[in-house]
Amino acid sequence: MNADTPRPSLLILDDEEIVLTSLRNLFRLQTEYEVIVHSSAQQALESARMRPIDLVISDYLMPDMDGITFLGHFKEIQPQTIRVLLTGYADKENAIRAINQVGLYQYIEKPWENAALLIVVKNGLEKRQLLRTLEEKIAELAKVNTDLKSLQTALIKAFL
Amino acid sequence: MQDDMDHQPGGREPVTSGPGSEKERTPSGDPGDLSGRLSEVENLLRESRARLARAEKMAELGNLVTGIAHEMNTPLASISSTTDTIALALQKLTELIASEFPDEASPARRRLEDALSIAGESLRTSRLACDRILKLVGGLRAFARHDELRMQKADIHEGIENTLAIVAHELKGRIRVVREYGDLPEIECFPDQLNQVFMNLLVNAAQAIEGPGEIRIRTWQDGDTIRISVSDSGSGIPADLTSKVFDSGFTTKKAGEGTGLGLSISNKIVQAHGGRIELEGGAGRGATFTVVLPARLTEERKTNER
Repeated sequence: MNADTPRPSLLILDDEEIVLTSLRNLFRLQTEYEVIVHSSAQQALESARMRPIDLVISDYLMPDMDGITFLGHFKEIQPQTIRVLLTGYADKENAIRAINQVGLYQYIEKPWENAALLIVVKNGLEKRQLLRTLEEKIAELAKVNTDLKSLQTALIKAFL
Repeated sequence: MQDDMDHQPGGREPVTSGPGSEKERTPSGDPGDLSGRLSEVENLLRESRARLARAEKMAELGNLVTGIAHEMNTPLASISSTTDTIALALQKLTELIASEFPDEASPARRRLEDALSIAGESLRTSRLACDRILKLVGGLRAFARHDELRMQKADIHEGIENTLAIVAHELKGRIRVVREYGDLPEIECFPDQLNQVFMNLLVNAAQAIEGPGEIRIRTWQDGDTIRISVSDSGSGIPADLTSKVFDSGFTTKKAGEGTGLGLSISNKIVQAHGGRIELEGGAGRGATFTVVLPARLTEERKTNER
């Protein structure tokens, strides 16, 4: 990451505190990411309305809302965020279905391997960064185009 | 017992109708002989009810174990992840101490390194212990895939390894497992059911061996079939019993050890896959059970969901 780009932000939702603590500490130790954790889907969505998130990781089986529904709502608030599902073995079929349903970037099985998880997140954030750069370039291109057109108009006006 | 058939499915009622039907026939036969037969039948009945009760209990226990395995998954995932994170943190501490205390002989550095080495070794032990539970729970969960009732491509060796992880306690320290795995293609099957077959063969093999011994697992492809054989170094099966081992309810094990259902269920499962189980080896030279499965299933089998 360049020094001028802000730290990538991660939001993690799981109803189990032990999972949240495990993940938060892993990212604190091994990365520079800004990590926000929530154990309630509603609070996580509140958080998503307040600030931009680059990547979101959600558990699948939770009491107040399942992970796919949550990621669907999250997508409505921030469509650009990379979405990752964390799932137990039994929910794998649902997870695969969700890849299409909510445009899932990746699913990770519990128990996860730290190294594999870090790679998935790193690649997801890179994709997010590339997409952002692309958007910026497109915007720049559009601006240059507009400038060019007004210059042309000015030129034509000058000669007429 | 002319009304035996009516009661077979339930398996609970015959004892009330049994004596009545025997009594009706009493006038035509020798009463002493008949009462002998009656008690024989009653014994058989008692035995099969006990077996049924045990089978039901085992099935219940199986559900319970699967439930526990699923419940254990999240805490286990957390332990496994944090163990790795602590190891990484210790690594960073070690580097930090080396740079903060450049003098290797300084008492402070030595005390810190001592403490770190204890932490590191303890953590490696935790990692090994955790890996063992992970393997066991992973095996249990793969064994009881409730969500996978459709035919699917599966790796037979993976199924055998998952099953071995579960039966490890039966073998531990006593029985050596020798694997001679050949090249097998993935086959279309019901993996959970085949795992049940492997489980049965492995537990039977382990129970056939008294004291230390060996179980040899061989796999190979033979034309359009794949074969999985489980051999034990036990006492073998006497020739007069070899035809009975696949019968439902037949067992040579002590009460409480076997239900007499294992091999007959295994046989049915393998037959449903279009295969068979072969038995070799007489008394005194161990037994070899070989599961023969078609490498490719016919279309008709694929739709024949159990």
